[in-house]
Amino acid sequence: MTELIVGPFNRVEGDLEVRLQASDGTVAAAYANSPLFRGFEVMLKGADPRDALTLTPRICGICSISQSAAAALALADAAGAEMTEQGALAAAILHGVENLADHVTHFNLFFMPDFARQAYKGRVWHSDMVERFTAAKGASQHAALEARARLFHIAGILGGKWPHTLAIQPAGVTRTPDAADRVRIVSILRSFRRHLETRLFGGRLEEFTALESVSDLACWTQGDAGLFLTASADLGLADMGWGPRRYLSYGAYPFATGRKTRAGVWADGEISDLKTGEIVEHVSQSWMLGGAAHPFDGATRPDEEMGEPGYSWCKAPRLGGRTCEVGALARQVVDGHRLALALADEGGVRARIAGRLLEIARTQIWLEDWAQALDPGGRFMGEFDVPKTGRGAGLVEAARGALGHWVVIEGGRIANYQIVAPTTWNFSPRDADGQPGPLEAALVGAPVADGETAPLSVQHIVRSFDPCMVCTVH
Amino acid sequence: MSQIETFYDVMRRQGITRRSFMKYCSLTASALGLGPAFVPKIVHAMETKPRTPVIWVNGLECTCCSESFIRGSHPLAKDVVLSMISLDYSHTLMAAAGHAAEAALEETIQQYKGNYILAVEGNPPLNEDGMYCIVGGKPFVEQLRHAAKDAKAIISWGACASYGCVQAAKPNPTQATPVHKVITDKPIIKVPGCPPIAEVMTGVITYMLTFDRLPELDRQGRPAMFYGQRIHDKCYRRPHFDAGQFVEQWDDENARKGYCLYKVGCKGPTTYNACSTVRWNEGTSFPIQSGHGCIGCSEDGFWDQGSFYNRVTDLTQFGVEANADQVGLAAAGVVGAGVAVHAAVSALKSAQKKTQGQSMSQNEEV
Repeated sequence: MTELIVGPFNRVEGDLEVRLQASDGTVAAAYANSPLFRGFEVMLKGADPRDALTLTPRICGICSISQSAAAALALADAAGAEMTEQGALAAAILHGVENLADHVTHFNLFFMPDFARQAYKGRVWHSDMVERFTAAKGASQHAALEARARLFHIAGILGGKWPHTLAIQPAGVTRTPDAADRVRIVSILRSFRRHLETRLFGGRLEEFTALESVSDLACWTQGDAGLFLTASADLGLADMGWGPRRYLSYGAYPFATGRKTRAGVWADGEISDLKTGEIVEHVSQSWMLGGAAHPFDGATRPDEEMGEPGYSWCKAPRLGGRTCEVGALARQVVDGHRLALALADEGGVRARIAGRLLEIARTQIWLEDWAQALDPGGRFMGEFDVPKTGRGAGLVEAARGALGHWVVIEGGRIANYQIVAPTTWNFSPRDADGQPGPLEAALVGAPVADGETAPLSVQHIVRSFDPCMVCTVH
Repeated sequence: MSQIETFYDVMRRQGITRRSFMKYCSLTASALGLGPAFVPKIVHAMETKPRTPVIWVNGLECTCCSESFIRGSHPLAKDVVLSMISLDYSHTLMAAAGHAAEAALEETIQQYKGNYILAVEGNPPLNEDGMYCIVGGKPFVEQLRHAAKDAKAIISWGACASYGCVQAAKPNPTQATPVHKVITDKPIIKVPGCPPIAEVMTGVITYMLTFDRLPELDRQGRPAMFYGQRIHDKCYRRPHFDAGQFVEQWDDENARKGYCLYKVGCKGPTTYNACSTVRWNEGTSFPIQSGHGCIGCSEDGFWDQGSFYNRVTDLTQFGVEANADQVGLAAAGVVGAGVAVHAAVSALKSAQKKTQGQSMSQNEEV
């Protein structure tokens, strides 16, 4: 048995360290440590509830709109307020733009550069990878950065600035776009579609979203997506990094008529309703004091001694006592897309990346529809008064998965605020029963070559989740 | 020390044409507020000076500064970002991982001893011996001290590195501490904002790389060229402020008309930044344009000033320079009482002229 400490991980958002126990050339046990703690939940106590709209987005500079949307929804829930129809539409566009951009960033800047490593020299796909994805230099990276910056003009138009957009409020958005704005948004989306169809997919988005099976997927050889699938087949990434094969989604993009994607849980081939009352955060192996609790009753008391058996600042959320994987794949599976359902059982590195590619294509199509539906004459903001007392949950889907804010208001101030972020689910430490978190379980069995100090398999598996460590612990 | 390439070499190697290079130089000059006469200077500097290595480290933060930076619209921004400054160590973007990455950092420090610029994103938490932010098994504060020791100068990116930002909000659970309170023996340039505007970031770094010196700083250590004026001074909604036309509620008729957001908590009158001129996302917009007030994210302590939605009534902690102080205080009194706007406006105008005059004379000295 040898012990390896892999980290710090770069090209993930925030800080991460993984401790591995390896024997016979494979990982036998893994421990994920989130070594960065700031204490947002502590700061929010006693604050004006509206300040959550400004403070929580600053948990993360990559998913800040997701945090802002969750905070707005939690406050709306506590106040019994609702976004106007057009407000919800504008909020969905803002959020969709961020999610789409995050997926594209992850693929190009964070995930793919690992295939350009020297260790893969000689593989048939390696020279293409080097040309397109060498860290900070690859041709696809340049193209993606440019396209992404243009895409974010939409966040500029509707939200004033990105990151840390302030426009999303409990009852709508602060900006009423005019007809010219709508035209600009539509044309920006058209240009982003061109980028996706020429670079990433090498084909029409509708052709990709029409894929129904794993064998369909394997036939997709065009574009950067095809390059990934080729490398993936060569390296056996489908069989690497299996998650718990239990997927959770709160349902993305809330509208008055319901959510764009379904909320629920997928396990053993069945999709069932989500019972949020069964969400419990454990702290027994975290550097946190207190006991397991539902987020409404949760507390954040860091253990300054950093005592055993704790090994991470991250809490361990469980649904009905069990781990769940969240993210693009989970969302698409729970929504019942046929390709995603076909990948659900596979549940490894390839499935996660393919699920994300599928979501990129679908989100772009949704955004185009939403932009057309914008009505500059409509109302973008409704009524909202800060409640004196109340409690509310804001459940949204960030790029990286299910994000929940739970707020308790007493005497017009925040009495408790708890946040469970996507990577809190995926990279959680062990719970009271010793059950490892999804990443920790996914790493078991990963091959470790002789002399490897930062095994390539581990790099692929960790990044396939698209972790956001600053959200994880906050 | 081994021979380092010039900027021009690096750019040429990246396939940038001479024509694009010239365009870059002239746009840089204008972005920095320098006249056309400076273009040849920039060209000469870029052709002959060895490029300055940059080490970019991340402490307690949210990566919004990196995010902002990689979306800059500054001329050929992607080339500036990805090739010209050639980040020698960047946690977010580089290829190496794990210990190899730490080794790369060490190698850069050794190779360019005394010559590199250290860019810091985030800050060190000092509670519990820095254990709230661990990089490579050690507290970030140690990495910071180590990397700072042989740096030529330090850039504090964003509100975190400059002032502490939201993680330092009461009760500051981790004792998040700005860089200048930990590193006291190096020139530090603060580029505050949460995050700073991309064009401000590329502008500052280009200036330093091109002229091999710090730009003119105000009393708080911020580059005067970008932080010399209040958002209020150049706000397109300013006429409504002067006319006493205010948004009272988010969804009211006045909001639709684009009236001033002062009464719903806008901190534009006390915030020094370039948002209302440079704007965000490649000049697309800025928060006030989206109908939400400024929250003052480039000012020290913005996170602990009471609710973000309360109107500005005192300005005690803000102060940049004598002129600005006076203007700020005058405006605050006026704003608090809601009368005598004209006096403040004229005071402001004269102050503006002074500030502009000062920075121009500074530029001419370059």
